[in-house]
Amino acid sequence: MRRGRTLLAAAIVFAAALVAGTALTAAVSLSGGFERAADRADLPDLIVRFDATARGDVERRLAALPNVETTRYRTEFNGVWLQGGGGRATNGAVHAVEPGRRGYAIARGRDLRGSGETVVEAGVAREWGLEPGDTLSIAGGRLRIVGVSISPDNVAYPLAKAPRVYVDRRDLGRIGDDVNLALAWLRDPARADVTLAQARAVSFGLDDLRFITRDGVRVLIGQAAGIVIALLVAFSLVAVTTAGIMLGASARSEVARRLPSIGVQRAVGFSRASVVREQAARGALLAAPAAAVGLAAGALAMRGAAERLLAALNEIGPGAGLLWWLAGAWLAIVALVAAASAWPAWSATREPIAALLRGGELAVGKRPRRWLRPRPTSPSPPHNAGNRRLSTVSRIVSALGGGGGGLGALGARLASARRVRWAATVAVLGAASATLVLLLALASLLVSLRDDPGTVGKTYALTANLPPSAVAEVERIPGVAKAAERTAVEASAAFSLGQPLRLVGFARGAEDFEAPPLAEGRRRRAADEAEVGVGLADALGLRPGSRLAVALPGGREGRFRVAGVVRALENDGRIAYVREDRLDALGASGNTVVAVRLERGADRAAVGRGLGALGARPSEAAAATTRNRGFLGVLATVLRIVAVTVALVCLVVLAQALVLTARERRPTLALLRTVGAGRASIARVLAGACAAVLVPAALLGVAVEVLVLGPAVASLAAGYAGLSLAPTAGHLALAAGALAALGAAAVAVVARRVEREAVVAGLREEA
Amino acid sequence: MKRRARRGAATPRGAATLTLLATLAAACGIEERAPQVPGSTLRATVVDPDGDGTLERGPAERLVDRTDLAPRGRGATREVARLGQLTDSHVRDEESPARVPFLDRLGPPVTSTFRPQEAVSPQVLTAAVRSLNAERPQAVLVTGDLLDNAQRNELDQLLAVLAGGPVDPNSGGGGYRGVQAASNPDGSFYRPSVDAPRHRGVLNRAQEQFFSPGLRAPWYAALGNHDLLVQGELAPSPRTDAIATGDEALFTFAPELRGTLDDLPRSDEATPDLRDVPPEEIERLLERGVPGRETRVAPDAARRSVSARELVRRLRAAGTPAPPGDRLDYVADLGPRLRVVVLDTVNREGGAEGVLLPAQVRFLARALRRAGTQSVVVVDHHGLDRTRGGDAALRLLDADRRVVAELSGDTHRHAIRPRRTRAGGFWQITTASLADWPQQGRMVRLVEGPDGSRALETWTVDHAGGLDGQDLAGFGRRMAFLDAQGGRPQRFAGARRDRNARLWLPPRRP
Repeated sequence: MRRGRTLLAAAIVFAAALVAGTALTAAVSLSGGFERAADRADLPDLIVRFDATARGDVERRLAALPNVETTRYRTEFNGVWLQGGGGRATNGAVHAVEPGRRGYAIARGRDLRGSGETVVEAGVAREWGLEPGDTLSIAGGRLRIVGVSISPDNVAYPLAKAPRVYVDRRDLGRIGDDVNLALAWLRDPARADVTLAQARAVSFGLDDLRFITRDGVRVLIGQAAGIVIALLVAFSLVAVTTAGIMLGASARSEVARRLPSIGVQRAVGFSRASVVREQAARGALLAAPAAAVGLAAGALAMRGAAERLLAALNEIGPGAGLLWWLAGAWLAIVALVAAASAWPAWSATREPIAALLRGGELAVGKRPRRWLRPRPTSPSPPHNAGNRRLSTVSRIVSALGGGGGGLGALGARLASARRVRWAATVAVLGAASATLVLLLALASLLVSLRDDPGTVGKTYALTANLPPSAVAEVERIPGVAKAAERTAVEASAAFSLGQPLRLVGFARGAEDFEAPPLAEGRRRRAADEAEVGVGLADALGLRPGSRLAVALPGGREGRFRVAGVVRALENDGRIAYVREDRLDALGASGNTVVAVRLERGADRAAVGRGLGALGARPSEAAAATTRNRGFLGVLATVLRIVAVTVALVCLVVLAQALVLTARERRPTLALLRTVGAGRASIARVLAGACAAVLVPAALLGVAVEVLVLGPAVASLAAGYAGLSLAPTAGHLALAAGALAALGAAAVAVVARRVEREAVVAGLREEA
Repeated sequence: MKRRARRGAATPRGAATLTLLATLAAACGIEERAPQVPGSTLRATVVDPDGDGTLERGPAERLVDRTDLAPRGRGATREVARLGQLTDSHVRDEESPARVPFLDRLGPPVTSTFRPQEAVSPQVLTAAVRSLNAERPQAVLVTGDLLDNAQRNELDQLLAVLAGGPVDPNSGGGGYRGVQAASNPDGSFYRPSVDAPRHRGVLNRAQEQFFSPGLRAPWYAALGNHDLLVQGELAPSPRTDAIATGDEALFTFAPELRGTLDDLPRSDEATPDLRDVPPEEIERLLERGVPGRETRVAPDAARRSVSARELVRRLRAAGTPAPPGDRLDYVADLGPRLRVVVLDTVNREGGAEGVLLPAQVRFLARALRRAGTQSVVVVDHHGLDRTRGGDAALRLLDADRRVVAELSGDTHRHAIRPRRTRAGGFWQITTASLADWPQQGRMVRLVEGPDGSRALETWTVDHAGGLDGQDLAGFGRRMAFLDAQGGRPQRFAGARRDRNARLWLPPRRP
């Protein structure tokens, strides 16, 4: 029995460590992936793109800038035919590089050394099955693949639409000396803004000029995954916290169960300190192996999925560095369990020894709380004169139990008699329930973020790559309520050139096509007004009435008056909604489509066919997250692992509680069986005991999720967007059903175990 | 010709007045906060040791012996003369409508039409005056391009700085109104309130009155093209005066200008800037007027151009011993041992190139003949070897053993070159400007030894602006260093041998 209890306790530690290992691996892997890749690849501090210009001219300008350590130049060719392995593409991107620093890392093979060679980006290699030594056809010429690269300045193919390869400039002798991409490494990256300000001053004559800093690249890469990674990391951090709560409560419960033995130790002369040390050591010894196994299992379960996601983003995992985090987590878990064992032991040793010998919680002489005082009409338990109180919980169970309410109430009283252990069990189950409800809410949110453009404030369902002149024709398609031209321009903040942002312009009268909720101010009205996302407002210190200055591609600067601040999810909130005609006046060119709002009940497919008839390729309006299976698969993996772990924890805790109750109330149960109670009756008693912990745990879990966990995850992941992770009635029903099913399973297992025991053994204990 | 005492500064009553003014100025907060930094580079330098664009105090630069003309002597320690030099201060009315700052982005040859530190030119000059005063020169040579746009109000500021007293750098209406305002949506101009590195309020502070201590030593001016020509190129005319004193300024780059510039003939089609456009084509463009969006500004009659006659007259009034007329050719004897001959190389017809007329060559010859046993230093703005007609003057100098040096400016670059001649040779010393990095002045000291050995010891002097850039002069130096079109990338600071050197001269004949 003792071994069984020990195993159960260890199982809880294992489960909590499993959650922690999964969550920690997800958080550590995903939150630092860009920095690791950028450092390994020696990503430049500045990347400058422009129309093809003589290398000497560009070099002269960059050499004049302050704070520049090194510059290198490339020529990027787009729309190149590539074929190799199992893949081909007509939109390949070929980067002709020169010797020296390159800004990409070699994952396999080696870097370019001479002509006739090529390095392929890791996503291309993965998708097309290419390895060093293979041959790649580039625009009809054949080059030998010598290496596979990680290029953190962009996401990997196929998330990036164009497959990218690198070649030596000498292989493209015909291109002459023109370049269209410059890489600059700075002596002090923190002063990049000073360098950029001077770069702008000497940029005249460079057409379609765009700057991006390392920080800007990080933002853009992050946007590719949308909010998925942010939610994953935030959820992981919260999961680690709840795992800690489970551990602490469980450890405390263990100590409470051992109070009689603590009493014996005190009776024979053990000091308080030695008792506490022993309990702490016992807890640590129990937790150490279980936590190690749990953490390792969680890390292994998560590792593959995390690496796949990182690979899609051209990012790098922590590698062996994760071991340090896991080691730290292991130490933290062991320390937590030891502390959670030591503290209640210390408190308990203050009690009189007699009280400890009686289990501590059953001390007479104390006036019980009002709600625990026995009702005169309630039957007293057949034994244990000290326990005459009828808990509120047992009354609830009785009311719910109907015909079996008496046995159920009995079970509830039995379970709630030991208050501390009951409270600890409820805490553990409450944390697990909260996590379960959060999981369900998160899953629903992700589905809506993926599928519902309304989550980003869009009131249109489709977009079509048609010219603005086609708007009137689109509106004549049956099922179309309204259409409007939408222009999106990728720009940067004029006074902080390394900060990327997106301008979205709609024609006058169509401002409501995209209208995320207002956080401050009002909607835009005048042509020079803008609504800015909270993310952008926070980054640039903008408020209603402020001026937003935007550096547009090509060098012009636009000024807008901030009318309102909106909770926009798109682009991490680094977005500004403006009038389309203002963008035209500024000469800002971007991606222009026709946004199509459908009539209620319209046949989307029919509208799509109508757009196709106009020569368009209609697309679903983008929501907040990518539809990329890789990303969503990772998320599903994490949620599944945590869900299974939570279920395991619930099952184990419930089983432990019931087993303990059955053990301590053996004489009671034996007496019941003596008078004819069968398995069903025993099960009803155990069900009452189960309900005594599950019902308050469920209520606690919902409260914690609504008030703490949900807001915490939403705030951590996307504080700029006002996400809601409040559970729906469906979520609550599902969670309740799951808990009930787990409770039923625990009851069934323990009831069967009780039934297999000889009745005489229980009666003998009573005697 | 001996120099008359400077008005106002030398008398006890004048000194007391200045002291009272300084006290009042300090009490009113008018005087610029001037942390005592830099100064002589023999004690410390201003450097960017790690290349990150931040200036710090650096180690001293000792004198480098240069024996191109003569071997090292011994005992050349007796000071014969001690001169200071300030050049190309380009005191600027940055709000003037008679400027075309938006051409600056085109690159050479119009990169000097805008500088990010242009609003603090009088403050930088004042800081340079402070530093030079600390070196205790016997006299200071101010070698041209003292003004930027040949405007009267620029001259007022210049004279106030050099003579000492209150300086009013503002023009037009109150406060700053120009291309560097935060409201200007043209990111090609550095706007200190919003662009990095941010210095909020610096432009308005730059318009506030402040107090200059003035040069303590007598000072002698040479003229440069910017002192008499609009933007250093165009001869002033009623038309340019109307623009300068008018109420419309071109601040904003007009998109159609790009097309206009693309149409200019070039020898090399690959460069988008104007470096390969013939200068006469650029002048024609400027004369036609450049397309831009006009902005209303407060007119200011003080922006009209100053004529050569008026300029010479006012410099004479300030103590320069110039003869009556409109040319600034004169002689100044600094004691019995040194004669300074100043030549006016400005082409009154227009154009940045220097010109020396035959009459001026004859004047030089007379000045040399009458020098007696004095050592001779020739001062001009452009450098005689870069001046049309300068060859004749150089032949005179080449033949004269008494000539020890020619001091000039114009290039904004430190350079020291030996000129080997039959007579033994002399040194041609060009000093960097106060407009661009490194924003330094220069000291030149003629020393002799009992054995007849002679040398010119020269070292550069940083102005007294703070290194943190919080005071206006320090801000000016900081931005001059960062300027991607300024003195740093163009290496105006020269090599070490062009800055601090001991230039050995052929020994004096007994």
